[in-house]
Amino acid sequence: MIKLENVHKYFERQHVLKGIDLNVQKGEVVSILGPSGSGKSTLLRCINFLEEPTRGIVEIGGRRVDAQSAKKADIVSLRNSTGMVFQQYNLFKNFTVLQNVMIGLTSVKRIHKAEAKKQSIEILERVGLADRLDHYPAQLSGGQQQRVGIARALALEPEVLLFDEPTSSLDPELVGEVLATIRKVADEGNTMLIVTHELQFARAISDRVVFMEDGKIVEEGTPEQLFNHPKVERTKQFLSRANRND
Amino acid sequence: MENLLDINFLIDSFPAIISRLPVTIGIAVGSLILSLFIGVATALIKIYRVPVLRVISAIYVSFIRGTPLLVQIYLVFYGIPKIIYYMQIEYGWLQSADVNSIPPEVYALLAFSVNLGAYLSETIRSAIESVDRGQFEASKSIGMTPAQMMLKVIFPQALATAIPNLGNMFISTIKDTSLVFIIGVIDIMGEAKILGSRGLAFFEVYIAVSIVYWILCIAVERLLVKVEKRARRYERGIA
Ligand SMILES: Nc1ncnc2c1ncn2[C@@H]1O[C@H](COP(=O)(O)OP(=O)(O)OP(=O)(O)O)[C@@H](O)[C@H]1O
Ligand SMILES: [Mg+2]
Repeated sequence: MIKLENVHKYFERQHVLKGIDLNVQKGEVVSILGPSGSGKSTLLRCINFLEEPTRGIVEIGGRRVDAQSAKKADIVSLRNSTGMVFQQYNLFKNFTVLQNVMIGLTSVKRIHKAEAKKQSIEILERVGLADRLDHYPAQLSGGQQQRVGIARALALEPEVLLFDEPTSSLDPELVGEVLATIRKVADEGNTMLIVTHELQFARAISDRVVFMEDGKIVEEGTPEQLFNHPKVERTKQFLSRANRND
Repeated sequence: MENLLDINFLIDSFPAIISRLPVTIGIAVGSLILSLFIGVATALIKIYRVPVLRVISAIYVSFIRGTPLLVQIYLVFYGIPKIIYYMQIEYGWLQSADVNSIPPEVYALLAFSVNLGAYLSETIRSAIESVDRGQFEASKSIGMTPAQMMLKVIFPQALATAIPNLGNMFISTIKDTSLVFIIGVIDIMGEAKILGSRGLAFFEVYIAVSIVYWILCIAVERLLVKVEKRARRYERGIA
């Protein structure tokens, strides 16, 4: 479903992604772990070209995009086949919950308003927010806002969902409801790439876990392999340090 | 006994002055609308660092801020007809325009739009930049075009933020329109001048006209408070 080949990203002189190769199958849930600054967010953002990779190939659902010759239509296509959930939710503050979810359907997919509304309400029911349709983001808790963020990403039925630390801005008592929603979305068979610091969650939800360090994928494997029998020294250190902090 | 004021004359002058309110309001509102387009365009040029246009718009803003409004009004009033005439003679352009039939209100509208646009530019730019980056990114991530993003997400929020500043500038503009009589527009000020010289009662008519400006500005301020409340309703914690 997703295929990254030798993806590099430079910010000015700084080499942030140093040749990433990654394959994600349809329906697979892959978590990306790694220390702060290792390039996890940048990797996710290169997939939908919120950051343009300096070079390399991004392929989603069969459409191959070479970063060095990417056209507008390629970027549109990548954005249409991905949905993103942000650490800071990034809801449209001037829109209600319902409008936040509908906007993609009406203005990007050009679906008729009544139909878009119906679909949006169904999605909001799935994330448990059907009773908050007319609230503005400012009237919601962080957990509720993030569930709207998930609903907004789901609305366009993307082939791939990208989550960038979806629970890192939340008060601890709100983390659970968002994780439960993400798990539900995973159980529905969605293809997902999740950057997270919630190790237990990553372990429980993922088909595969990727460990990044300094712009490279250092190790990857099933949660069982990576958490119980890490091969690489850096992964061991990271996991033991993270576990101590838990 | 000598009267300080001819009260009757003062009161009698109101209907005529008020009958010119549409001119004053028309120029103020019309130039507000036009200047919003100029302000948004120059703000976007600056934000997106558009080559060439960026320099032109910087010079424009600096020129307007650095020269008196009165001079700008004269420049438009005397300059535009000359330019049109020149183009007709030299290039055969704009043949259908009859320079002499352009009413002075049009020049006033142009001058005020160009003036206000330069002042709005900076306010609008900072209002657009005050919308957090995350919402720009979210719009892109769901595949909205830049135009959709700006019109539906960014501008409404930027406008809400900018309303207090826009409002102050609009009120200044209302008061500045009192200059337009110099190019022959008969607004409320122009009317006051005419009445004053007819009855040789300038003090009276200027008191009358100042009261009209004052009430107008108070009304606009009230209206702005309502508009702002409405525009920012999404920021508050109630539905
Ligand atoms: N827009 C940018 N401009 C310049 N440098 C950037 C930019 N975005 C990220 N970086 C740099 O790239 C490196 C990787 O950042 P990135 O945000 O991808 O890390 P991360 O693994 O997501 O970290 P965290 O766990 O803290 O979110 C960092 O050194 C960061 O400073
Ligand atoms: Mg990050």
